Amino acid sequence: MLSRQIKIKLVFVRMKKLEIKKLKVRANRREILKGIDLKINRGETQALLGPNASGKSTLAQVILGNPKYKVTQGEIFFESRDITKFPPEKRAKLGIALAWQSPPVIKGVKLSRLLKEISRKEIEISDGKELLKREVNLDFSGGEKKISELLQVLVLNPKLVIFDEIDSGLDLKRLEKVAKIIKKELVAKKVSVLLITHSGEILRFLKPKVTNVMINGKLICKQKNFRKVLRTIKKYGYEKCKKHTLSPN
Amino acid sequence: MRSAKNIHYLQIDHRVKRLFQEKGVVILPSAEAWQKFTWSKKYFLKKPKEGYFIWIKKQIDFPLFACISIASKNIQQELGNLLVVEKNLNISLRGTCNTLKKNLCGIHKAEGKIVLKENSSLNYEHIHSWHREDIVLPNYEFLLEKNSKLDYTYKNLFTPKKLKIKTILNLLEEASCNLKMVADCNFTETEIIDTLVLKEKGASGQIQLRLVGGKNSKILAHSQILARAPCKGHLDCQGLLIDKSSSISLVPELICKNKQSQITHEASIGKIEEEQLNYLRMRGLNEKEAINLIINGFLGI
Repeated sequence: MLSRQIKIKLVFVRMKKLEIKKLKVRANRREILKGIDLKINRGETQALLGPNASGKSTLAQVILGNPKYKVTQGEIFFESRDITKFPPEKRAKLGIALAWQSPPVIKGVKLSRLLKEISRKEIEISDGKELLKREVNLDFSGGEKKISELLQVLVLNPKLVIFDEIDSGLDLKRLEKVAKIIKKELVAKKVSVLLITHSGEILRFLKPKVTNVMINGKLICKQKNFRKVLRTIKKYGYEKCKKHTLSPN
Repeated sequence: MRSAKNIHYLQIDHRVKRLFQEKGVVILPSAEAWQKFTWSKKYFLKKPKEGYFIWIKKQIDFPLFACISIASKNIQQELGNLLVVEKNLNISLRGTCNTLKKNLCGIHKAEGKIVLKENSSLNYEHIHSWHREDIVLPNYEFLLEKNSKLDYTYKNLFTPKKLKIKTILNLLEEASCNLKMVADCNFTETEIIDTLVLKEKGASGQIQLRLVGGKNSKILAHSQILARAPCKGHLDCQGLLIDKSSSISLVPELICKNKQSQITHEASIGKIEEEQLNYLRMRGLNEKEAINLIINGFLGI
């Protein structure tokens, strides 16, 4: 009986990809994240919604270890390892990847070269071939940036991917295409996905298992039915999510 | 380094180790050429002691390679190089100058002249690779005759203790040039002086500088365009300062002596942005690899 309990516990531990406990973060003397708790299991897709400046992108950057942000309290675990103090490259090597919302220009470096430098997996490129010869993010349109980020994430062969506003700047047709790629190359292969989105556009294509809402550096609720969340936000605004429709699960 | 078999002119210390003749090309030690071809005297600044003479008389469809190295301790080279490309030819040249190992304390002085005759074109890639104890003082003059074209790239990825490189380009009617100088400077005092003289109508040229101030480096780059006729010129000087022990001074200068000419310049000195570094680190590159990638991108190599 005891060994069965241990086994069950081990399976449970192994299933958890990312676990964030009581995370508080500061930058420029301001507290941005005010005690975040979040768990994402293996192969699970979750969404993180919230208004502008609520701390969504900060959370993504902190999970990846951006030294600009200071963790003042709490821990981040990835596959049961405490990665709170790991540098960004070590987290990337463990299998965490981030598709940036506004990626910086890397002058003189062609996208094909960057992909070659970072690649841990060969991928077949059908969309975005024309970007390969261009300098990374230089004069890329909003949509081109998203495609470039997606390509980079895919060659990293990740276990957990955070997409920061992947649906902004994409027309409906492109968005559907991007969602299809995420489904085929990541979700179907049991890669965990966290979709950070302001508009929630992409959720109807990827149907997250859990939808979180963040306001002012706090996760105010979790909800299984993302449609319900979107409806509430549309009708009453983000602030009303907790009060009107959502209950923590 | 290239295999010696492919090199047309190979000099190590003061000795010519290889001279490989191609049909339509005369390759000689410059001291010998001085004796043999009287006309060459008008191009050499003084009687040369050592160095190469390359005279391209017919079209060749492969690049020429010249390599000058220092392999022994305390060698002081004083080169007099001359390259002449005859009319209507389209030529590629690769040149390498280096010390073969560290602690040789080599001195490499060079006086060179490159002459492009009418309607000819030259693509010249000049690569320098030195060690921290060396002193390097090259002085090159280019003469571009009517309608000739030069594409010259100078790359110095391993800088010596002291580098003073002086380049003068004289362009005649409708001649055009693109001069690109790239240096990744570490433990060096580097001075780069470029002068582009647009002498006749329709001449056009661009000087592009890409200089990285790595560890313990002091860089001064003075680039000048002098327009004497209706012509076009542009200076593009960019520095990337990555270490607090270094400094970069860029001095672009435009002198216009013809009201129909159009000469412009841009100059900037920047640093590596934290955001770029973090972006690349989140892709799995460590800090050093990320910096190298940014530098290589900046230098265009």
